[in-house]
Amino acid sequence: MTGIGFRKDFAEEFLQSSVLQPSFLEVAPENWIGVGGYWKKQLNKALKRYPLFLHGLSLSIGSPDPLDLDFLRKVKTFIKETGAGIYSEHLSYAKCDNAHLYDLLPVPFTADAVDHVSERILQVQDLLQQKIAIEIVSYYTPVAPEMTELEFINAVLRKSGCDLLLDVNNIYVNSFNHHYDPYQFIDGLTIDNVSYIHMAGHLKIADDLIIDTHGEAIIDPVYQLFDYAIRKLQKDVPVLLERDFNIPDLAELQHEILQLEKIKRDALKEKSYATA
Amino acid sequence: MQLLETTRNHQSELAKYCRTGQYNPIQGVNERHVGRYRQLVINVVDDTLRSAFPLTCNLLSPDEWTKEVNDFFSSHACQSPQVWSMPKEFWAYVKDQQPAIVKKYPFLDELLWLEWLEVEMFMMEDKTAGHTPAGNLKKDKIVINPEHHLQYFTYPVHLKNAQQITKTDKGHYFLVLHREPVTGKVKFTNLSPFLARMVELLAEKPRTIKELIKKTSREIGIVPDQQLAEDVLHFLENALAGGLIHGFVNK
Repeated sequence: MTGIGFRKDFAEEFLQSSVLQPSFLEVAPENWIGVGGYWKKQLNKALKRYPLFLHGLSLSIGSPDPLDLDFLRKVKTFIKETGAGIYSEHLSYAKCDNAHLYDLLPVPFTADAVDHVSERILQVQDLLQQKIAIEIVSYYTPVAPEMTELEFINAVLRKSGCDLLLDVNNIYVNSFNHHYDPYQFIDGLTIDNVSYIHMAGHLKIADDLIIDTHGEAIIDPVYQLFDYAIRKLQKDVPVLLERDFNIPDLAELQHEILQLEKIKRDALKEKSYATA
Repeated sequence: MQLLETTRNHQSELAKYCRTGQYNPIQGVNERHVGRYRQLVINVVDDTLRSAFPLTCNLLSPDEWTKEVNDFFSSHACQSPQVWSMPKEFWAYVKDQQPAIVKKYPFLDELLWLEWLEVEMFMMEDKTAGHTPAGNLKKDKIVINPEHHLQYFTYPVHLKNAQQITKTDKGHYFLVLHREPVTGKVKFTNLSPFLARMVELLAEKPRTIKELIKKTSREIGIVPDQQLAEDVLHFLENALAGGLIHGFVNK
Protein backbone atom coordinates (compact mmCIF):
# COMPACT_ATOMS: atom_id res chain seq x y z
CA MET A 1 0.00 0.00 0.00
CA THR A 2 1.15 3.51 -0.85
CA GLY A 3 -0.19 6.55 0.91
CA ILE A 4 0.10 10.30 0.81
CA GLY A 5 0.67 12.96 3.42
CA PHE A 6 -2.74 14.63 3.87
CA ARG A 7 -1.92 18.33 3.55
CA LYS A 8 -4.30 21.23 3.98
CA ASP A 9 -2.88 22.76 0.78
CA PHE A 10 -4.60 20.16 -1.34
CA ALA A 11 -7.11 18.55 1.03
CA GLU A 12 -10.21 20.05 -0.53
CA GLU A 13 -9.25 19.30 -4.14
CA PHE A 14 -8.18 15.79 -3.15
CA LEU A 15 -11.44 15.00 -1.38
CA GLN A 16 -13.55 16.36 -4.23
CA SER A 17 -11.89 14.38 -7.02
CA SER A 18 -10.66 10.88 -7.69
CA VAL A 19 -7.40 11.89 -9.35
CA LEU A 20 -5.25 11.01 -6.39
CA GLN A 21 -5.84 7.46 -5.14
CA PRO A 22 -3.65 6.64 -2.16
CA SER A 23 -4.15 3.54 -0.05
CA PHE A 24 -3.90 5.52 3.17
CA LEU A 25 -3.28 9.00 4.53
CA GLU A 26 -0.73 10.27 6.98
CA VAL A 27 -1.00 13.38 9.16
CA ALA A 28 1.04 14.99 11.89
CA PRO A 29 -1.11 14.73 15.03
CA GLU A 30 0.18 18.15 16.11
CA ASN A 31 -1.72 19.74 13.24
CA TRP A 32 -5.04 18.10 14.08
CA ILE A 33 -5.31 17.48 17.81
CA GLY A 34 -7.90 19.79 19.38
CA VAL A 35 -8.99 21.10 15.99
CA GLY A 36 -12.66 21.47 15.12
CA GLY A 37 -14.70 23.35 12.54
CA TYR A 38 -13.80 23.25 8.86
CA TRP A 39 -10.65 21.17 9.19
CA LYS A 40 -12.24 18.60 11.44
CA LYS A 41 -14.97 18.14 8.84
CA GLN A 42 -12.31 17.64 6.17
CA LEU A 43 -10.44 15.14 8.31
CA ASN A 44 -13.65 13.25 9.08
CA LYS A 45 -14.43 13.08 5.37
CA ALA A 46 -10.97 11.69 4.72
CA LEU A 47 -11.27 9.17 7.56
CA LYS A 48 -14.45 7.76 6.02
CA ARG A 49 -12.47 6.87 2.89
CA TYR A 50 -8.95 6.09 4.01
CA PRO A 51 -6.99 4.45 6.83
CA LEU A 52 -4.84 6.91 8.77
CA PHE A 53 -1.22 6.80 9.93
CA LEU A 54 0.28 9.39 12.28
CA HIS A 55 3.72 10.91 11.99
CA GLY A 56 4.62 13.14 14.92
CA LEU A 57 6.73 16.27 14.91
CA SER A 58 6.96 17.56 18.46
CA LEU A 59 7.45 14.64 20.80
CA SER A 60 11.16 15.40 20.77
CA ILE A 61 12.25 11.89 21.55
CA GLY A 62 15.94 12.90 21.55
CA SER A 63 15.54 15.92 23.80
CA PRO A 64 17.40 16.39 27.09
CA ASP A 65 14.09 17.75 28.45
CA PRO A 66 11.54 15.44 30.08
CA LEU A 67 8.96 13.89 27.76
CA ASP A 68 5.76 15.89 27.48
CA LEU A 69 3.44 13.26 28.90
CA ASP A 70 0.35 15.47 28.71
CA PHE A 71 0.90 15.88 25.00
CA LEU A 72 1.58 12.17 24.62
CA ARG A 73 -1.76 11.39 26.29
CA LYS A 74 -3.45 13.65 23.76
CA VAL A 75 -1.72 11.72 20.99
CA LYS A 76 -2.99 8.50 22.55
CA THR A 77 -6.53 9.83 22.55
CA PHE A 78 -6.15 11.00 18.95
CA ILE A 79 -4.89 7.56 17.91
CA LYS A 80 -7.97 6.03 19.51
CA GLU A 81 -10.38 8.58 18.01
CA THR A 82 -9.03 8.22 14.48
CA GLY A 83 -8.18 4.51 14.57
CA ALA A 84 -4.70 5.36 13.31
CA GLY A 85 -2.67 2.33 12.31
CA ILE A 86 0.89 3.54 12.88
CA TYR A 87 2.38 6.25 15.07
CA SER A 88 5.87 7.24 14.07
CA GLU A 89 8.24 9.94 15.29
CA HIS A 90 11.68 11.29 14.47
CA LEU A 91 15.05 10.30 15.86
CA SER A 92 15.81 13.92 16.67
CA TYR A 93 14.87 16.65 19.11
CA ALA A 94 12.56 19.61 18.64
CA LYS A 95 12.47 20.97 22.19
CA CYS A 96 15.32 21.97 24.48
CA ASP A 97 15.72 24.14 27.57
CA ASN A 98 11.92 24.02 27.88
CA ALA A 99 11.44 25.72 24.51
CA HIS A 100 9.92 24.24 21.37
CA LEU A 101 11.93 24.86 18.21
CA TYR A 102 9.44 23.59 15.61
CA ASP A 103 12.10 21.78 13.59
CA LEU A 104 14.09 18.60 13.87
CA LEU A 105 17.60 18.94 15.33
CA PRO A 106 20.20 16.17 15.18
CA VAL A 107 20.88 14.15 18.32
CA PRO A 108 24.60 13.66 19.09
CA PHE A 109 25.68 10.18 18.07
CA THR A 110 26.88 9.15 21.53
CA ALA A 111 26.48 6.10 23.75
CA ASP A 112 24.64 8.06 26.46
CA ALA A 113 22.24 9.44 23.84
CA VAL A 114 21.54 5.88 22.66
CA ASP A 115 20.56 4.93 26.21
CA HIS A 116 18.59 8.11 26.76
CA VAL A 117 16.63 7.90 23.51
CA SER A 118 16.00 4.17 23.89
CA GLU A 119 14.62 4.60 27.39
CA ARG A 120 12.29 7.32 26.15
CA ILE A 121 11.07 5.22 23.24
CA LEU A 122 10.26 2.45 25.72
CA GLN A 123 8.48 4.99 27.92
CA VAL A 124 6.41 6.21 24.95
CA GLN A 125 5.55 2.67 23.87
CA ASP A 126 4.59 1.82 27.42
CA LEU A 127 2.23 4.79 27.70
CA LEU A 128 0.72 4.28 24.26
CA GLN A 129 0.65 0.51 24.69
CA GLN A 130 1.85 0.09 21.12
CA LYS A 131 5.09 -0.07 19.21
CA ILE A 132 6.22 3.10 17.53
CA ALA A 133 8.38 3.54 14.43
CA ILE A 134 11.35 5.89 14.54
CA GLU A 135 12.47 7.79 11.47
CA ILE A 136 16.08 8.37 10.47
CA VAL A 137 16.12 12.13 9.94
CA SER A 138 18.05 14.13 7.41
CA TYR A 139 20.74 16.21 9.11
CA TYR A 140 23.09 18.92 7.94
CA THR A 141 25.78 18.61 10.54
CA PRO A 142 26.71 16.00 13.11
CA VAL A 143 27.01 17.17 16.72
CA ALA A 144 29.88 15.86 18.85
CA PRO A 145 29.72 12.35 17.37
CA GLU A 146 31.38 9.44 19.16
CA MET A 147 30.10 6.86 16.68
CA THR A 148 28.76 6.75 13.14
CA GLU A 149 25.15 7.52 12.31
CA LEU A 150 24.66 3.89 11.36
CA GLU A 151 26.05 2.63 14.65
CA PHE A 152 23.85 5.08 16.50
CA ILE A 153 20.64 4.06 14.72
CA ASN A 154 21.31 0.33 15.03
CA ALA A 155 22.11 0.73 18.70
CA VAL A 156 18.82 2.56 19.34
CA LEU A 157 16.89 -0.11 17.44
CA ARG A 158 18.64 -2.89 19.33
CA LYS A 159 18.15 -1.32 22.73
CA SER A 160 14.60 -0.08 22.31
CA GLY A 161 13.22 -2.77 20.00
CA CYS A 162 11.12 -0.17 18.23
CA ASP A 163 10.27 -0.25 14.55
CA LEU A 164 12.20 1.70 11.94
CA LEU A 165 10.65 4.19 9.58
CA LEU A 166 13.01 4.03 6.64
CA ASP A 167 13.03 7.42 4.95
CA VAL A 168 14.89 6.55 1.76
CA ASN A 169 15.20 10.17 0.68
CA ASN A 170 16.78 11.07 4.01
CA ILE A 171 19.36 8.35 3.54
CA TYR A 172 20.13 9.70 0.09
CA VAL A 173 20.36 13.28 1.41
CA ASN A 174 22.55 12.26 4.34
CA SER A 175 24.82 10.13 2.16
CA PHE A 176 25.42 13.13 -0.10
CA ASN A 177 25.88 15.64 2.71
CA HIS A 178 28.11 13.37 4.81
CA HIS A 179 29.91 11.53 2.03
CA TYR A 180 28.95 7.90 2.42
CA ASP A 181 27.50 5.21 0.18
CA PRO A 182 23.71 5.01 0.71
CA TYR A 183 23.62 1.39 -0.48
CA GLN A 184 26.22 0.35 2.06
CA PHE A 185 24.26 2.27 4.67
CA ILE A 186 21.12 0.26 3.91
CA ASP A 187 23.19 -2.93 3.93
CA GLY A 188 24.35 -2.05 7.41
CA LEU A 189 20.94 -1.19 8.84
CA THR A 190 18.97 -3.52 11.08
CA ILE A 191 16.57 -3.92 8.21
CA ASP A 192 14.23 -6.37 9.97
CA ASN A 193 12.87 -3.51 12.07
CA VAL A 194 11.57 -1.59 9.05
CA SER A 195 7.78 -1.34 9.22
CA TYR A 196 7.19 1.78 7.15
CA ILE A 197 8.92 3.71 4.37
CA HIS A 198 8.86 7.41 3.49
CA MET A 199 9.70 8.74 0.04
CA ALA A 200 10.11 12.39 -0.91
CA GLY A 201 11.91 14.94 -3.02
CA HIS A 202 14.72 17.25 -2.00
CA LEU A 203 16.58 20.34 -3.16
CA LYS A 204 20.30 20.68 -3.83
CA ILE A 205 21.19 24.19 -2.69
CA ALA A 206 24.99 24.02 -2.94
CA ASP A 207 27.66 21.77 -4.37
CA ASP A 208 28.00 20.11 -0.99
CA LEU A 209 24.50 20.42 0.51
CA ILE A 210 21.08 18.94 -0.17
CA ILE A 211 18.07 20.03 1.87
CA ASP A 212 15.22 17.65 2.61
CA THR A 213 12.42 19.95 1.45
CA HIS A 214 9.52 17.62 0.59
CA GLY A 215 8.90 20.24 -2.06
CA GLU A 216 10.13 18.53 -5.22
CA ALA A 217 9.41 15.35 -7.16
CA ILE A 218 11.33 12.21 -6.22
CA ILE A 219 14.47 11.89 -8.35
CA ASP A 220 15.62 8.70 -10.07
CA PRO A 221 18.57 7.94 -7.74
CA VAL A 222 16.12 7.94 -4.82
CA TYR A 223 13.73 5.64 -6.71
CA GLN A 224 16.73 3.36 -7.35
CA LEU A 225 17.65 3.38 -3.69
CA PHE A 226 14.03 2.58 -2.84
CA ASP A 227 14.13 -0.37 -5.24
CA TYR A 228 17.31 -1.58 -3.55
CA ALA A 229 15.77 -1.19 -0.08
CA ILE A 230 12.66 -3.17 -1.02
CA ARG A 231 14.76 -5.98 -2.52
CA LYS A 232 16.83 -6.03 0.65
CA LEU A 233 13.79 -5.89 2.87
CA GLN A 234 11.80 -8.55 1.01
CA LYS A 235 8.52 -7.72 2.65
CA ASP A 236 5.62 -5.51 1.76
CA VAL A 237 5.50 -2.50 4.07
CA PRO A 238 3.43 0.68 3.67
CA VAL A 239 5.13 3.41 1.66
CA LEU A 240 4.31 7.10 2.00
CA LEU A 241 4.79 9.84 -0.56
CA GLU A 242 5.57 13.06 1.30
CA ARG A 243 4.86 16.32 -0.44
CA ASP A 244 4.54 19.31 1.87
CA PHE A 245 5.39 22.30 -0.32
CA ASN A 246 5.28 23.39 -3.94
CA ILE A 247 2.29 21.11 -4.47
CA PRO A 248 1.94 20.04 -8.12
CA ASP A 249 -1.18 18.86 -9.92
CA LEU A 250 -2.66 15.90 -8.11
CA ALA A 251 -2.12 13.84 -11.28
CA GLU A 252 1.61 14.27 -10.81
CA LEU A 253 1.38 12.98 -7.25
CA GLN A 254 -0.68 10.04 -8.46
CA HIS A 255 2.00 9.32 -11.05
CA GLU A 256 4.59 9.18 -8.25
CA ILE A 257 2.36 6.86 -6.22
CA LEU A 258 1.98 4.52 -9.21
CA GLN A 259 5.72 4.61 -9.78
CA LEU A 260 6.39 3.63 -6.17
CA GLU A 261 3.85 0.81 -6.35
CA LYS A 262 5.36 -0.54 -9.55
CA ILE A 263 8.88 -0.54 -8.15
CA LYS A 264 7.73 -2.30 -5.01
CA ARG A 265 5.59 -4.81 -6.88
CA ASP A 266 8.41 -5.67 -9.30
CA ALA A 267 10.99 -5.96 -6.56
CA LEU A 268 8.85 -8.30 -4.50
CA LYS A 269 7.64 -10.32 -7.54
CA GLU A 270 11.16 -11.09 -8.68
CA LYS A 271 11.96 -12.50 -5.28
CA SER A 272 8.88 -14.71 -5.27
CA TYR A 273 9.83 -16.06 -8.71
CA ALA A 274 13.31 -16.74 -7.45
CA THR A 275 12.06 -18.72 -4.45
CA ALA A 276 9.29 -20.59 -6.37
CA MET B 1 23.00 5.56 31.50
CA GLN B 2 21.71 9.09 31.98
CA LEU B 3 22.35 11.71 29.33
CA LEU B 4 25.78 13.13 30.09
CA GLU B 5 26.13 16.80 30.90
CA THR B 6 28.38 17.26 27.87
CA THR B 7 25.77 15.81 25.50
CA ARG B 8 23.07 17.89 27.15
CA ASN B 9 25.22 21.01 26.74
CA HIS B 10 25.89 20.31 23.08
CA GLN B 11 22.17 19.97 22.44
CA SER B 12 21.45 23.11 24.42
CA GLU B 13 24.07 25.10 22.50
CA LEU B 14 22.59 24.08 19.15
CA ALA B 15 19.09 24.93 20.36
CA LYS B 16 20.27 28.32 21.66
CA TYR B 17 21.84 29.06 18.29
CA CYS B 18 18.57 28.21 16.55
CA ARG B 19 16.69 30.53 18.88
CA THR B 20 19.09 33.47 18.92
CA GLY B 21 21.22 33.20 15.79
CA GLN B 22 24.32 33.64 17.95
CA TYR B 23 26.68 30.77 17.35
CA ASN B 24 29.14 29.47 19.91
CA PRO B 25 31.37 26.68 18.59
CA ILE B 26 30.02 23.19 19.23
CA GLN B 27 32.23 20.13 19.09
CA GLY B 28 32.02 18.22 15.83
CA VAL B 29 29.66 20.67 14.13
CA ASN B 30 30.10 21.58 10.47
CA GLU B 31 30.13 25.36 10.68
CA ARG B 32 29.41 25.75 6.98
CA HIS B 33 26.12 23.95 7.29
CA VAL B 34 24.90 24.53 10.83
CA GLY B 35 23.34 27.82 9.70
CA ARG B 36 20.65 25.82 7.90
CA TYR B 37 19.15 24.95 11.27
CA ARG B 38 18.85 28.56 12.36
CA GLN B 39 17.28 29.40 8.98
CA LEU B 40 14.85 26.49 9.08
CA VAL B 41 13.75 27.23 12.63
CA ILE B 42 13.34 30.98 12.27
CA ASN B 43 11.58 30.54 8.91
CA VAL B 44 8.96 28.29 10.50
CA VAL B 45 8.43 30.77 13.33
CA ASP B 46 8.33 33.80 11.04
CA ASP B 47 6.00 32.13 8.50
CA THR B 48 3.65 30.96 11.23
CA LEU B 49 3.47 34.42 12.80
CA ARG B 50 3.01 36.15 9.43
CA SER B 51 0.20 33.80 8.61
CA ALA B 52 -1.54 34.38 11.96
CA PHE B 53 -0.96 38.15 12.08
CA PRO B 54 -1.18 39.56 8.54
CA LEU B 55 -2.55 42.93 9.73
CA THR B 56 0.20 43.39 12.30
CA CYS B 57 2.85 42.32 9.82
CA ASN B 58 1.49 44.89 7.39
CA LEU B 59 1.42 47.61 10.05
CA LEU B 60 5.02 47.16 11.20
CA SER B 61 7.96 47.99 8.96
CA PRO B 62 9.97 44.93 7.84
CA ASP B 63 12.71 45.82 10.34
CA GLU B 64 10.22 46.26 13.18
CA TRP B 65 8.57 42.95 12.36
CA THR B 66 11.87 41.07 12.17
CA LYS B 67 13.04 42.59 15.45
CA GLU B 68 9.85 41.64 17.30
CA VAL B 69 9.89 38.09 15.92
CA ASN B 70 13.56 37.61 16.79
CA ASP B 71 13.22 39.15 20.25
CA PHE B 72 10.18 36.98 20.95
CA PHE B 73 11.72 33.73 19.82
CA SER B 74 15.08 34.31 21.48
CA SER B 75 13.73 35.43 24.85
CA HIS B 76 10.49 33.48 25.14
CA ALA B 77 10.46 29.70 25.57
CA CYS B 78 7.64 28.52 23.32
CA GLN B 79 5.47 26.06 25.18
CA SER B 80 3.01 24.76 22.64
CA PRO B 81 3.92 21.53 20.86
CA GLN B 82 1.44 22.59 18.18
CA VAL B 83 3.02 25.24 15.98
CA TRP B 84 -0.34 26.60 14.83
CA SER B 85 -1.12 27.72 18.37
CA MET B 86 2.33 29.27 18.99
CA PRO B 87 1.17 32.75 17.77
CA LYS B 88 -0.96 33.04 20.90
CA GLU B 89 2.31 33.07 22.83
CA PHE B 90 3.53 35.96 20.67
CA TRP B 91 0.43 37.94 21.60
CA ALA B 92 0.94 37.14 25.30
CA TYR B 93 4.62 38.08 25.04
CA VAL B 94 3.78 41.51 23.57
CA LYS B 95 1.04 42.07 26.14
CA ASP B 96 3.20 41.06 29.11
CA GLN B 97 6.59 42.39 28.06
CA GLN B 98 5.35 45.65 26.50
CA PRO B 99 8.29 45.98 24.08
CA ALA B 100 9.16 49.49 22.85
CA ILE B 101 7.04 49.05 19.72
CA VAL B 102 3.91 49.21 21.92
CA LYS B 103 4.68 52.89 22.63
CA LYS B 104 4.47 53.55 18.90
CA TYR B 105 1.36 51.41 18.48
CA PRO B 106 -0.52 51.42 21.81
CA PHE B 107 -3.25 49.23 20.30
CA LEU B 108 -0.78 46.53 19.19
CA ASP B 109 -1.74 43.91 21.74
CA GLU B 110 -5.42 44.39 20.89
CA LEU B 111 -4.70 44.06 17.17
CA LEU B 112 -2.72 40.88 17.80
CA TRP B 113 -5.51 39.54 20.00
CA LEU B 114 -8.11 40.26 17.31
CA GLU B 115 -6.04 38.40 14.74
CA TRP B 116 -5.38 35.53 17.12
CA LEU B 117 -9.07 35.25 17.96
CA GLU B 118 -9.84 34.64 14.30
CA VAL B 119 -7.30 31.80 14.20
CA GLU B 120 -8.48 30.33 17.47
CA MET B 121 -12.16 30.52 16.57
CA PHE B 122 -11.49 28.90 13.20
CA MET B 123 -9.46 26.09 14.71
CA MET B 124 -11.16 25.49 18.08
CA GLU B 125 -12.86 22.24 18.95
CA ASP B 126 -16.51 21.92 18.10
CA LYS B 127 -19.10 23.01 20.66
CA THR B 128 -22.72 22.02 20.49
CA ALA B 129 -25.94 23.36 21.95
CA GLY B 130 -29.32 21.67 21.89
CA HIS B 131 -31.68 23.65 19.66
CA THR B 132 -34.19 23.48 16.87
CA PRO B 133 -33.69 25.64 13.78
CA ALA B 134 -37.41 26.34 13.43
CA GLY B 135 -39.03 28.93 15.67
CA ASN B 136 -40.34 32.40 16.08
CA LEU B 137 -37.87 35.16 16.95
CA LYS B 138 -40.64 37.25 18.48
CA LYS B 139 -41.89 34.60 20.86
CA ASP B 140 -39.52 31.66 21.37
CA LYS B 141 -36.45 31.33 23.54
CA ILE B 142 -33.40 32.00 21.42
CA VAL B 143 -30.27 29.79 21.45
CA ILE B 144 -26.98 31.49 20.62
CA ASN B 145 -24.28 29.69 18.65
CA PRO B 146 -21.95 28.34 21.38
CA GLU B 147 -19.03 28.88 18.99
CA HIS B 148 -18.88 32.59 19.65
CA HIS B 149 -16.68 34.97 21.59
CA LEU B 150 -17.66 38.37 22.94
CA GLN B 151 -14.82 40.88 23.01
CA TYR B 152 -14.25 44.35 24.40
CA PHE B 153 -11.52 46.58 22.95
CA THR B 154 -10.28 50.05 23.83
CA TYR B 155 -9.22 50.70 20.22
CA PRO B 156 -11.29 50.07 17.07
CA VAL B 157 -8.91 47.41 15.76
CA HIS B 158 -11.82 45.58 14.14
CA LEU B 159 -13.23 48.71 12.49
CA LYS B 160 -10.34 50.78 11.19
CA ASN B 161 -7.25 50.19 9.13
CA ALA B 162 -4.53 49.73 11.74
CA GLN B 163 -2.36 52.40 10.10
CA GLN B 164 -5.11 54.96 10.69
CA ILE B 165 -5.75 54.23 14.37
CA THR B 166 -4.58 56.99 16.70
CA LYS B 167 -4.73 57.66 20.41
CA THR B 168 -7.82 59.78 19.85
CA ASP B 169 -9.68 56.61 18.85
CA LYS B 170 -9.44 55.29 22.39
CA GLY B 171 -12.87 54.36 23.65
CA HIS B 172 -15.20 51.42 24.25
CA TYR B 173 -15.71 48.95 21.46
CA PHE B 174 -17.55 45.65 21.48
CA LEU B 175 -17.70 42.90 18.96
CA VAL B 176 -18.76 39.31 18.77
CA LEU B 177 -17.00 36.69 16.67
CA HIS B 178 -18.68 33.47 15.74
CA ARG B 179 -17.90 30.44 13.66
CA GLU B 180 -20.39 30.01 10.88
CA PRO B 181 -21.75 26.47 11.31
CA VAL B 182 -21.72 25.35 7.65
CA THR B 183 -18.54 26.89 6.25
CA GLY B 184 -16.57 27.15 9.48
CA LYS B 185 -15.62 30.72 8.59
CA VAL B 186 -15.23 33.25 11.39
CA LYS B 187 -17.50 36.26 11.22
CA PHE B 188 -17.16 39.55 13.09
CA THR B 189 -20.10 41.68 14.24
CA ASN B 190 -19.62 45.11 15.76
CA LEU B 191 -21.94 45.68 18.72
CA SER B 192 -23.35 48.54 20.70
CA PRO B 193 -23.00 48.19 24.49
CA PHE B 194 -26.71 47.27 24.61
CA LEU B 195 -26.32 44.45 22.07
CA ALA B 196 -23.10 43.29 23.72
CA ARG B 197 -24.91 42.85 27.04
CA MET B 198 -27.74 41.09 25.23
CA VAL B 199 -25.32 38.64 23.65
CA GLU B 200 -23.80 38.08 27.07
CA LEU B 201 -27.23 37.32 28.52
CA LEU B 202 -27.98 34.92 25.68
CA ALA B 203 -24.72 33.13 26.36
CA GLU B 204 -25.89 32.52 29.93
CA LYS B 205 -29.09 30.80 28.85
CA PRO B 206 -31.73 30.93 26.11
CA ARG B 207 -34.10 33.86 26.49
CA THR B 208 -36.99 35.41 24.57
CA ILE B 209 -36.57 38.76 22.84
CA LYS B 210 -38.94 40.26 25.38
CA GLU B 211 -36.85 39.01 28.29
CA LEU B 212 -33.66 40.23 26.64
CA ILE B 213 -34.94 43.75 26.02
CA LYS B 214 -36.46 44.05 29.48
CA LYS B 215 -33.38 42.83 31.38
CA THR B 216 -30.82 44.66 29.27
CA SER B 217 -32.77 47.95 29.36
CA ARG B 218 -33.12 47.74 33.13
CA GLU B 219 -29.39 47.08 33.62
CA ILE B 220 -28.29 49.83 31.25
CA GLY B 221 -30.88 52.27 32.56
CA ILE B 222 -32.94 53.07 29.51
CA VAL B 223 -36.65 52.89 28.84
CA PRO B 224 -37.36 50.48 26.01
CA ASP B 225 -39.52 51.80 23.20
CA GLN B 226 -40.86 50.56 19.88
CA GLN B 227 -37.75 51.66 17.99
CA LEU B 228 -35.50 49.68 20.32
CA ALA B 229 -37.69 46.59 19.89
CA GLU B 230 -37.48 46.93 16.12
CA ASP B 231 -33.69 47.41 16.21
CA VAL B 232 -33.20 44.36 18.40
CA LEU B 233 -35.45 42.26 16.19
CA HIS B 234 -33.49 43.39 13.13
CA PHE B 235 -30.21 42.46 14.84
CA LEU B 236 -31.54 39.04 15.80
CA GLU B 237 -32.88 38.39 12.30
CA ASN B 238 -29.45 39.11 10.87
CA ALA B 239 -27.81 37.05 13.60
CA LEU B 240 -30.06 34.09 12.79
CA ALA B 241 -29.35 34.39 9.08
CA GLY B 242 -25.60 34.71 9.70
CA GLY B 243 -25.33 31.84 12.17
CA LEU B 244 -24.68 33.81 15.36
CA ILE B 245 -28.08 32.65 16.54
CA HIS B 246 -28.34 28.87 16.29
CA GLY B 247 -32.11 28.63 16.60
CA PHE B 248 -34.59 28.03 19.37
CA VAL B 249 -35.08 25.94 22.44
CA ASN B 250 -36.37 22.46 21.70
CA LYS B 251 -39.99 22.18 22.72
